[in-house]
Amino acid sequence: MNAAASPPPRHHVIIGNGVAGNQAAELLRDRDPASRVTILTHSRLLFYNRYLLPGIFQDMANWPELLAHPPEHYAARRIHVRRECRVSAVDPRNRLVKLAHNETIPYDTLLVATGGRGHLPEELAEYRPLFHHFGSYEAAMATRRALPERGAVVMLGGDMIGLDLARTLLAIECRVILVTHETTFWPHALTPEERTNALATLVAMGIEVIDGDARGGVAAVEPGAPGLPARRVVFHNGADLYGDVVMPCFGLTPMVEFMVGTGIDIERGVLVSPQLRTSDPHIFAAGDVCQIWSEEEHAYRFYYGYRNVRAMGEVAAINMTGGQEAFATNRVESLGHDAQGRIDSSFWVYDE
Amino acid sequence: MTFHSDDPRDIGWVRENIPCQNACPAGTDIPAYIRAIAGGNHGQAYEINREANVLPGVLGRICSRPCESACRHGWAGNGDPVGICHLKRAAADLKDTRHRITERLYAPTGKRIAVVGAGPAGVAAAHDLSLLGHDVTILEREEKPGGMLRYGIPEFRLPRDMLEIELRNALRLGVQLRAGVTVGTTQGAIRVSTLLADHDAVLLATGCMAPVQLPLRGVPEGTDLSRHCQDVEYGLPFLMDLHRGQHKRVGRRVAVVGAGFTALDCARVARRLGGREVTIHLRTSEEYIPVTSEELFETKREGIRIKGLRTPVALRTDGDGRLTGVAFVQNRLGGWRENGRRLATPIEGSEFFEPCDTLIIAIGQRTVNDFLDMRVELDRAGNVRVAENGMTSVHGLFAAGDYVRGASTAIEAIGHARGIADRIDAWLMGRQRRRMVRIEAVAAPPRLPAHDFIPRCHMPTLPLAERQLLTGEVERGYTPELAAEEAKRCYLCDLRYQIDVDRCIYCRACIEVAPRNCIKLTRDVEIRADGSLGALRETREWRRVAAIWIDNNECIRCGACFKVCPVACISITRNHFVTVDG
Ligand SMILES: Cc1cc2nc3c(=O)[nH]c(=O)nc-3n(C[C@H](O)[C@H](O)[C@H](O)COP(=O)(O)OP(=O)(O)OC[C@H]3O[C@@H](n4cnc5c(N)ncnc54)[C@H](O)[C@@H]3O)c2cc1C
Ligand code: SF4
Ligand code: SF4
Repeated sequence: MNAAASPPPRHHVIIGNGVAGNQAAELLRDRDPASRVTILTHSRLLFYNRYLLPGIFQDMANWPELLAHPPEHYAARRIHVRRECRVSAVDPRNRLVKLAHNETIPYDTLLVATGGRGHLPEELAEYRPLFHHFGSYEAAMATRRALPERGAVVMLGGDMIGLDLARTLLAIECRVILVTHETTFWPHALTPEERTNALATLVAMGIEVIDGDARGGVAAVEPGAPGLPARRVVFHNGADLYGDVVMPCFGLTPMVEFMVGTGIDIERGVLVSPQLRTSDPHIFAAGDVCQIWSEEEHAYRFYYGYRNVRAMGEVAAINMTGGQEAFATNRVESLGHDAQGRIDSSFWVYDE
Repeated sequence: MTFHSDDPRDIGWVRENIPCQNACPAGTDIPAYIRAIAGGNHGQAYEINREANVLPGVLGRICSRPCESACRHGWAGNGDPVGICHLKRAAADLKDTRHRITERLYAPTGKRIAVVGAGPAGVAAAHDLSLLGHDVTILEREEKPGGMLRYGIPEFRLPRDMLEIELRNALRLGVQLRAGVTVGTTQGAIRVSTLLADHDAVLLATGCMAPVQLPLRGVPEGTDLSRHCQDVEYGLPFLMDLHRGQHKRVGRRVAVVGAGFTALDCARVARRLGGREVTIHLRTSEEYIPVTSEELFETKREGIRIKGLRTPVALRTDGDGRLTGVAFVQNRLGGWRENGRRLATPIEGSEFFEPCDTLIIAIGQRTVNDFLDMRVELDRAGNVRVAENGMTSVHGLFAAGDYVRGASTAIEAIGHARGIADRIDAWLMGRQRRRMVRIEAVAAPPRLPAHDFIPRCHMPTLPLAERQLLTGEVERGYTPELAAEEAKRCYLCDLRYQIDVDRCIYCRACIEVAPRNCIKLTRDVEIRADGSLGALRETREWRRVAAIWIDNNECIRCGACFKVCPVACISITRNHFVTVDG
């Protein structure tokens, strides 16, 4: 009698090569050694550490310094990373991922870990080409190139991603002008009193804080005039200010466009159970792209920060390989001060 | 070579291969009008539109665009759908100012038909019935015709001059409009039974005129909330009053509950009336609301916030009875409703509070039947039931549009009403019309492969700073250049590429150049019960290959295969529906 044929290896496909995606890939490799593990990313770089990006404004010379692992690591771990692939759609019925260049990739289990992109409020969308960004290595490099020595950076909003960069910018003696908005200190939700104190701390650190509301909010961003900095920010009350670069820092929006129309439950992010399961049994989501059901709060909510996101990658991998783990966090999301009296945030905590 | 076919395979081909036309409730011949725009013939494009829908300039602004959701250009891997609706508007706006509309008139029949309601359904039906030779009178309660197009949709989405011209063109060939006349049972109103006695047929197109009530804790069922608290309004009367010329006011913080056109319009109006913080509260989430993504974007651009997964459960008022806010419960997404909409399930113990000064409730509209002075059979939803021939349970009484289908869209109302007009004519005159496929040979591919890479042209819009008024139209319309560029994007799905298997030498040159998996080696093809062709059964084994076949579903009409074929065995035809008498 013939020995029973072994089943074909399972194919775990991960969309996104950030913290959650990579953490999941590593664990999937360990837990399901026979499987195929593929990461799809539209990035040109292998997984790099976005928490180190402010460094490129200071002393970091080259992109390889950012990479979490050399290319050989992925070869040795049999993790297939396909770069510069844009996912255009997911077909849950046939379990296929469709790429923009018309290729389809079959999966057995799929992890959506595309994270978020910098949110740009719709009323400012038409000024998109005039903004400078910080969400990827390429964007950060372009911003660095546009910023003259000791130049002026206007941060609209001022989320914790932007404020992290602001610390570096102050250290290299740039001017940082922060225009407040309801998203200032995102993702921290502060009481009015905490917010006032935190803004005072920013001023003490050397950040020029401008009350966006008092000026009626930002009305337009324009190219600067000859002899003046490269950008002009105009407010609804007619006031204006100039900067060499203008950065939208309004928090993140989950990248879910390619999931729309799949039938998977989405609100702002992909909705998942504490086990990180979506409404399709073969699809999971982890990281900044997902909203997780919270039994205590009776609501779907986002959990940000390196540790949370890495833990999500782990939970997803465990459950994609038969586990029943629930995501739990005991991390206190707090905004505080460091020893030098500068603001400090749990959101910035990163363990190598 | 041109000929007409009623072969079910040809009819099935057109139905399946022109997804936009198939999705359009009025069956607009979309590739035909886009082809006309690409050739710079805006007037011709307008007339092609007008054959299916008498209000192209209106629908080109406010249509819900089911065609674009179906467009082949929007299928995975093909990019964004063609701007079908923007092109429709371009045909209307860019046609010559001296453009003359054409109407095909039948001889007078001497039959008298009354239409109740001058919304898009009533107007479309009256227009068609009048062309068919009948004497038509429309009775409309409001001072002016247009229904929800005039009294619901704000002017910044639909300028009234355009609406006026198209309504007049629709009604001027012999339709008598009696505006300011109520049909009903109240004093001074005309009874439906009187209309029936005086006419050969009566068509009810009274739409959905009542707002759906929101049940709230502590408020007895059936209470009119707008009477209960002066800061609470229902969306439909709010907009109707505004468009009748009343002065409306809102507070600084406005909460709108609801998820359709009405909710978005109320929010955008509230913003223009001075609302500083305007928030739309949804039971489900943005992905599942039935409005176009462009409209959603413009709404957000105007500073309106959208919050999902919540249901209002109670009002909070201060000592003077003024609204201070609304209590909501958190929802989870549930299953799907029969109409394809998403369900939301409230979560016990999840109540929370949002402060506001004005609440506008726009959770839907429903039909009212109290104007009828006779028993007419209704369905479970309270909508009137119509038979296959469009007639209600009362002899000679027909119904069309939202009044039959529940709150839907302008194009659904028009499409439905035109079908009913046809059936009224068939019932009165015994005349039949049927669809055939006109097949014309096309000498060479009319498109260039480079056209596949043109990105969708965005609609120019009014700068935010100029959006304070209720009137300034937000969408500005394509320029002739933008329209020509967008028109080039259309694949022209009415083109059918076929390989003549008898002449094919199986060189596979076409397969080599094909941009997609569009040319297939097949064993055979499924033949459906109605005789139309179904799925291809493919094979990779040479000995089983019975034919080489172009899968027109995959084909993006690029013409590459046609150009390389060494024996010219690939042909192109244009296939489209025509209506013929008899
Ligand atoms: C605020 C709002 C925005 C909308 N936006 C869009 C949009 O952007 N795109 C879209 O496709 N659809 C939209 N719709 C829906 C669309 O307007 C309707 O689906 C469409 O108008 C229905 O057409 P109808 O002719 O069946 O009914 P209606 O347009 O409702 O017309 C019914 C007419 O009958 C009259 N009438 C009623 N009762 C009587 C009576 N007893 N006697 C005499 N006359 C009577 C009414 O006065 C009215 O004029 C919107 C609706 C609203 C309310
Ligand atoms: S490509 Fe053109 S013809 Fe084809 S579905 Fe889209 S609009 Fe219609
Ligand atoms: S025209 Fe020919 S090559 Fe081009 S998509 Fe259609 S079948 Fe394929």
